Amino acid sequence: MKTALALRMKGAGYLGEWQLALPLTLAFASLFLAPLLLLFGVSFFNDDKLTEPGLAQWGKFFGDPFNYKVIADTLLLGVKTVAATVLVGYPLALVFIDLSARLQRVLLFVIVMPLLLSVVVRTFAWIVVLGHEGLINTLLLRLGLIGEPLKLLQTELGLVISLTQIEMPLMLLPLISVMSRLEPNLRDAAAALGASRWRTLFTVIVPLSMPGLVAGCLLVFASSTTAFISQTVIGGVRLIYLPLVIWQQSLVVFNWPLAAVASMALLVSILTVVAALSYLGRRASGAIHG
Amino acid sequence: MFTRRRVLAGATALGGAALLPTIAAAKGGLTAAIYPGTWEDAYRAIVIPALKKTYDVDLELQPLFAVDEVAKAKAARGAPPFDCFVLDPGPRITAIEAGLFEKFDGKKLSNASKVPSAFIDEWGICVGAQVVGIAYNPKKLPAPKGWKDLLTDPWVSRLGITGFQTTFGTVSLIEIAKQFGGSETNIDPALVELKKVLPKIAAVGQPAAMPGLFQQGQCDVMYTNTQTVATLKGKGVDIEFVKPESGAVAFYTTLHIAKGSDAIDNAYKYFDTVVSTPVQEALTKPPYNFLPANKDVPIPPDLPMKSLDEMSTYVLHDWAKINPLRAGWIEKFNKEMAK
Amino acid sequence: MQSTLTDIATAMAGPPPGRTLDVEDLAVRYGASLAVDGVTLAIEPGEVVALLGPSGCGKTTLLRVIAGFVRQASGRVRVDGAVIDHLPANQRNIGIVFQNYALFPHMTVAENVAYGLRARGMRGNEVKTRVTRALDTVQLGTFLDRLPRQLSGGQQQRVAIARALAVEPSILLLDEPFAALDRNLRLDMQIEVKRLQRTLGLTTILVTHDQDEAMSVSDRIAVMNKGKVEQFDTPVAVYDRPKTLFVNSFIGTTNLLSGKLAVREGDEVIVSLDAGALLRLPAPGDLSIGEPVLLSVRPEQLTLCSTPRPDNWRVEPGLSLPLGGQLVHEVRAGDGAVLKIVEPRRGVSSEPNRIFCGLAPDARPALFPRAT
Repeated sequence: MKTALALRMKGAGYLGEWQLALPLTLAFASLFLAPLLLLFGVSFFNDDKLTEPGLAQWGKFFGDPFNYKVIADTLLLGVKTVAATVLVGYPLALVFIDLSARLQRVLLFVIVMPLLLSVVVRTFAWIVVLGHEGLINTLLLRLGLIGEPLKLLQTELGLVISLTQIEMPLMLLPLISVMSRLEPNLRDAAAALGASRWRTLFTVIVPLSMPGLVAGCLLVFASSTTAFISQTVIGGVRLIYLPLVIWQQSLVVFNWPLAAVASMALLVSILTVVAALSYLGRRASGAIHG
Repeated sequence: MFTRRRVLAGATALGGAALLPTIAAAKGGLTAAIYPGTWEDAYRAIVIPALKKTYDVDLELQPLFAVDEVAKAKAARGAPPFDCFVLDPGPRITAIEAGLFEKFDGKKLSNASKVPSAFIDEWGICVGAQVVGIAYNPKKLPAPKGWKDLLTDPWVSRLGITGFQTTFGTVSLIEIAKQFGGSETNIDPALVELKKVLPKIAAVGQPAAMPGLFQQGQCDVMYTNTQTVATLKGKGVDIEFVKPESGAVAFYTTLHIAKGSDAIDNAYKYFDTVVSTPVQEALTKPPYNFLPANKDVPIPPDLPMKSLDEMSTYVLHDWAKINPLRAGWIEKFNKEMAK
Repeated sequence: MQSTLTDIATAMAGPPPGRTLDVEDLAVRYGASLAVDGVTLAIEPGEVVALLGPSGCGKTTLLRVIAGFVRQASGRVRVDGAVIDHLPANQRNIGIVFQNYALFPHMTVAENVAYGLRARGMRGNEVKTRVTRALDTVQLGTFLDRLPRQLSGGQQQRVAIARALAVEPSILLLDEPFAALDRNLRLDMQIEVKRLQRTLGLTTILVTHDQDEAMSVSDRIAVMNKGKVEQFDTPVAVYDRPKTLFVNSFIGTTNLLSGKLAVREGDEVIVSLDAGALLRLPAPGDLSIGEPVLLSVRPEQLTLCSTPRPDNWRVEPGLSLPLGGQLVHEVRAGDGAVLKIVEPRRGVSSEPNRIFCGLAPDARPALFPRAT
C-alpha cells in the first residue's frame, strides 16, 4: 500500500514536472524550431518560386569564394567587437563591484539604459557622433589634434566602436552578476598572502569571473555578428557581412532559397564559435562550481 | 462646483462618444501599406480624414518599403497582411509576376476622368511620380551639371552612393552607366568608373541611411529623389536638387489591391479619394511636395516640372527588362565595392 | 606529531618567537559614525588576544585595520615597535583566517597553500617542501590535490590555517574562525589552534562573539562595545572582576539585584537590597552613600538555606533543572526579580524548605551605579 502510494506520488511528480515544461516546449517548437526547419527546407529549392527542389543555391553560395570572405569578415567583426567590449567592460565591472550600493544602482541604470532605447535610435545616434562633422571630429578639430576630419563612419573601426557601446550591456550584465557574487574576502585573502592587485586580478578574479565573461562574450558575439542595422547604417555597404547578403537576397531580389542558404551559413558559423566558447565556459565554471 | 461624481460622469460620456463611431458608424476599415517618411506623413494628415469624411471608411496605414510589401505579401500566401500596395515600377512587376494583385477596373472610380488615361491599367492606378536626380550642398560644393560630374573632383570626394537595392539607386546607376557607354541592361561601365574613384568616394551607404549621412555632412552630394530633398530642406539642411543635363529620371508610384483582400470596395473608395482634386491639391503643397496625378490640379512652381505632360521628357526605364538582371547587379555591386 | 610541530616551530618562527602588536588610540570612521573609537591595546609577543563583543561592536573592523584592508581615521598600529600604517595589506606579512575560510575555489589545496609563497616569488621545490610541511602541520598531508569543495568544513579550516602559516606571518589574525564548525569539531579545532600557536609562538588576535571560545583559547580578552574596549584583561579577571556593567552582563550569566548604598564603614559598605537584606561588601571606589546600585552576582555565587538571616532574603522557589553535573534553580525574590542559582549536584543540602537566598561564602559580587 505504502509502496503503491509512493510510486503513484512519484509518478505524479514526474508527470507534473513534464506538464510544467510543456508550454515552453510547445512555444519553443512552434515559434523557433518549426520556422528554423522551414528555413532549412526552403534552402533546398533551385528557384525563387520554390517549385524545383535541388541543391543549386547551396552550390551557388559555396561555389563563390566571395562568400567565404563575407563569412570570415562577419566572424572577425564579432571577434573584434568581443575583444573591445571585454577591454572596456571588464575594468568597468571591476570598478562596479567596488562601488557603494547606491552608486552601483546609478551605474547599473546607466548600463541598462541603452537597452531601453531601440537599436535603430542608438545606431543613428552614432552617425551623429562619428560623422564627418560629428562630435568626435568636431572635438578633435577644435582641440587642434587633427587638421582634417577623420573617416570614422563607414569604416570597420567606427563600426566596432559603436557596436562596443551598443552591445556593452550584454557583456556587463552577466559579468557583473557573476562578479558581485564573488566572495569579497577572496581579494583580501590574496592581499594578506602578499599578492599585488594585478596578481590578485589575474590569479583570482579573472579565473573566478570566467563564467560571466564567457556568457558576455557569447552574447556579444552572437549579437554583433547579426546586428544588421548597425552593420549597414554605420558600416555602410562596402563592408559586407552575412546579414546584408541575407537581407538583399530575401527582401530585394526575393531569392529566398539563397537567403536561406546564407542564413544557414550564418547560423552554423555563429553556433560553431558559440559552442567553442561555451565549452570553454563550462570548463572554467566546472573548475569552480561543478 | 465639480464633484467627483460629475467629473466621472463627464469622463464616461467623453469616452463613450469617442468609442461610438468606431463601434457603430464605421462602414468597415481598410489597411494600406505606405512608404515610411513623407508618404506616411502626408497620407496620415490628408488622406485618412478625407476618406473618413467622404466614405466613412477607417484607413489604417502600415509603413513599409516597396520590397518589404512584396516580401510580406509573398510570405503570407493569399492572406495578405494589408489590402492595398503602394509600389515603384520594379517591385510592381515582381508582384504582378507573383500574382499578388487583384485585377483593377478604373471605371469604378468616380474621379477616373480627372486622371491621365495612361495612369490607369488593369493592375492599378498611378497616384504620383518620383523624380530622381542629383542633390548637393550649395554651401560646400558648386552645382554639378550631370551624372559624369559626380565622378570627378570636387564632387567625387564628397559623393555618397547606394547600390541597386532601391529604385532610385538602380535608376541612378543606370544613368551613370549610360554616360560611359552602358545601357538599361548594361551597368558594368558604371561599376568600372566607380571603382576607379572608389577610394575617394565619401560614403557608400544603405539607402535608408543616406539622408542621415547627408545631414551629418558625411557626404555633400548624392543621387536621390525630389521628396527627400524637400524633406531635408524642411529640416533646415543646406540641400539643392539638380536636374542632370541628360535628364532627370522619373518613375511612377502606383496603388494596387492585394489578392485575397476582403475590403475591395473600400480599396476603390481609397483610390478614388487619393486622386480626388482636393486631396491631390493638398498633397502638392509643402511640406509634402507631391507631383499631382490629377489633371485639374496645377503643378506648383517649385516642383521640377511644369505639367504632367512634361513627364514624357523625363528618362523612363523598362522595369520588365531591369528586374531579371537586378539580382546579378546587386551581387556585382557587393563584390566591386567591398573593402 | 609533537616532534613535527617542534620542528616547524624551529623552522617557521624565525629569530624572535613572536612580535609585539601595539594598537594606539585607533579610530575608524564609517560615514558619520565611529566604528572603532579610540582603541588602545598593547599585545605581548606570543600572546593570544580575543576581541570579544556583540556584532557591530567594531571588533572585525579593528581586525581589518590591522590586516590593512581598512584605513583608520586616526591612531597607529605597530608591529615590534615599527609603524605599519603606510604599508598596503600585501606588504604587511600578517596572516589571516576568515570565518568562511576564503579558500580559492578554483585551486587545489596545495595551490591554495602555495599561493602566498608564489606571491613572494618562491618557485619550484622550495614551494613544494613548504606546502607539504604546512599541510602536515594541520594533518592534511594527503589532501594536496583536492579542491576546497571536496573537503569538510573542518578540513577547509585547516587548509586556511596552513595557507596563512605557510608564509611565516609576523602576526596571525583569526576572524571568527570556528563559527561555521559544529560543536564537537569546534572544540577540537580550538585546541589544535591553541597548540599550534603555542608551538610557533605566534602573536595571535582572535575575533569572536562567543565568550566560551574567548575564554578557552585566549590569554587576554578585549571586550568591545560600540567601538570601544570596555575591559582588556585575562579571562578570569574579566569574568570575576568585570569593570563595567556591560562586561558583566556580556560575559557569563549574572543576576542583577537592585538596592541602595546604605552605610560606608571604612573600606566596606553595607548595601540594602530591595529584596530585603543587608549585605556587607568591600567598598567600591566611586559610589556615594544613598546612591541606587545594581549588585551583580554569578549564579554559582548564590546559595539557598532554610533559616532567615539579616544577610539573606526570602524567595519563592520555581523550577530546578539538572544541567550536567550541576543543578540550576530558578527562584523569584520579593521585589519580583527572577534569580538563577547554580550548585553542584553532589553535596546538595538535604534541608527541606530552603526558601532563603544569600551570598556564598567566597562570593565576590560586583557593584555598579544604577540609573534611576
